[in-house]
Amino acid sequence: MSKRVLCKFFAHGACLKGEHCEFSHDWKDPSNNICTFYQKGVCSYGSRCRYEHVKASQLQYSAESAPSSSANSLQHLVSCSVPVSHPYRTSSVGVGPVSGFPAELSASSIPFFPPVQPIWNQESGHHDLLDNGDVGELRSVNLADHSICSFAAAGNCPRGEKCPHIHGDLCPTCGKHCLHPFRPEEREEHLKTCEKKQKHLEALKHSQEIECSVCLERVLSKPTAAERKFGLLSECDHPFCISCIRNWRSSSPSSGLDVNSALRSCPICRKLSYFVIPSVIWYSTKEEKHEIVDSYKAKLRSIDCKHFDFGNGTCPFGTSCFYKHMVKPGSYLWNTTLMPDICRSSVLDLDDIEYSSDVMDMDAVLVLFEHLYRPHKPVGVEELEYKSDEDLENEVSMAEEMAFFPNADWV
Amino acid sequence: MVDFARVQKELQECNRDVDVSGISVSPKGDNLTHLIGIIPGPLGTPYEGGTFNIDIVLPDGYPFEPPKMQFSTKVWHPNISSQSGAICLDILKDQWSPALTLKTALLSIQALLSAPEPDDPQDAVVAQQYLRDYQTFARTAHYWTETFAKASSLGVEEKVQKLVEMGFPEASVRSALEASGGDENMALEKLCSG
Repeated sequence: MSKRVLCKFFAHGACLKGEHCEFSHDWKDPSNNICTFYQKGVCSYGSRCRYEHVKASQLQYSAESAPSSSANSLQHLVSCSVPVSHPYRTSSVGVGPVSGFPAELSASSIPFFPPVQPIWNQESGHHDLLDNGDVGELRSVNLADHSICSFAAAGNCPRGEKCPHIHGDLCPTCGKHCLHPFRPEEREEHLKTCEKKQKHLEALKHSQEIECSVCLERVLSKPTAAERKFGLLSECDHPFCISCIRNWRSSSPSSGLDVNSALRSCPICRKLSYFVIPSVIWYSTKEEKHEIVDSYKAKLRSIDCKHFDFGNGTCPFGTSCFYKHMVKPGSYLWNTTLMPDICRSSVLDLDDIEYSSDVMDMDAVLVLFEHLYRPHKPVGVEELEYKSDEDLENEVSMAEEMAFFPNADWV
Repeated sequence: MVDFARVQKELQECNRDVDVSGISVSPKGDNLTHLIGIIPGPLGTPYEGGTFNIDIVLPDGYPFEPPKMQFSTKVWHPNISSQSGAICLDILKDQWSPALTLKTALLSIQALLSAPEPDDPQDAVVAQQYLRDYQTFARTAHYWTETFAKASSLGVEEKVQKLVEMGFPEASVRSALEASGGDENMALEKLCSG
């Protein structure tokens, strides 16, 4: 239907859609020269606008009276931009021009150039002429399809009562008129995200006051964004900024400080924590802390362990590593421990192994090949972990940097 | 690099309630890495009434490394060297924590004065005396407090008076006191050595 309207990108020689463009790429077709902003109510260019400033009903008329090739598309455009507060225009797409206009036009006796004023004035008349019940029905069906006034949703609509668009209902959380009265799913979703946002804001506000016990500064008032983060300790609830607690934990043991009784423990309560979790907000409940820790761990699980290197390297943290351990076929571990011919033997149930293209989950493999794997397992993994916690720290901080970009909402 | 912002904060915090705790910290020169801490001798101990000066040097890694503290006032105590003033206290060594501050460290030293640990001594002679003959220990500690920890509380004129009474000319006494920063013991040593 819109194929007959000249593509404006094509007209400038810059349509990227080519043959698939829904608009016409034929110079013979007329171009759509109607200002869409004017249709919506406000065009900031005013009289200087290079597009035509005509009202929707005028278009309908011209579309009907002049059997041009663009008639359909114009009507299409009208139906898209009809302000909803006028039931006549909403429902009259296709109806109005046929039933109402000819009669009116013959009465006004100006067949080809209908004056602007009369037509706008006639609106109420048309409204009366049409079957009211019918219109109401049509309207209620259409209302859900119309988006709400974006000005009102953003806080304030300058047109107030006179606005031709639907004004959304007031959201109790954000205090804006952004709840669509006829789309329950959308309402639900907005309320949900709004509440979540509010909660986050409150937590952030509460977090503003929290001071790091090492640098004695407010964590969220630090000069650089990278520093404005808390470092949560897994075993206690004392607040530090991420840089301070990492700095402390990575102090060299040569300074005479004991790794396990001093460096790895909370500077305040001296409770031993094995890892630090970065977070932009400070939690107020245990559940919130769990949520932060869980999402952090989930994020790390999606990153491939650089020590493990898909089976080519050895990870000092073994099965308790936070990062993803995937064995690639052809890697060292695959060739030595999990020889493919063993895999094929009927003794093992391959269905238990979860394949994802050419990579498989290390944990699943470990369970299957535990008897083979045992001798290779380093003695005293726990002990090893203690000593190389610093490595984990570094890796964690690396991961944090890596995760900094793709997860904007985390920040 | 020393976290000077934190040191500044600590100094402000510490000097805010100096009337209550009696503990104060002030910079020795224009450099914040060298400070002087002052603690009053705890009541009910041989150190009561004394004012003890502690020399504090902040290492580059402060607050991730413990501050170096030692008494500049002579003290008779099992865990403090009677010669050098070195302090044997775990939080100043392997049990340091960055959550500790200069004030809390000085408070710990004050607590150490009232609760000596003779089983883990810094000065073996003092520790032995403490264990074998507490009365003598207490007397000695009290005498040292009277002699070394109270002198600095005298005014300059009193110090001058005291040294002049010992037979030194007033002019040289004044210059010696000035050179030693008001410490009459050091001034006396200077005067004696010529």
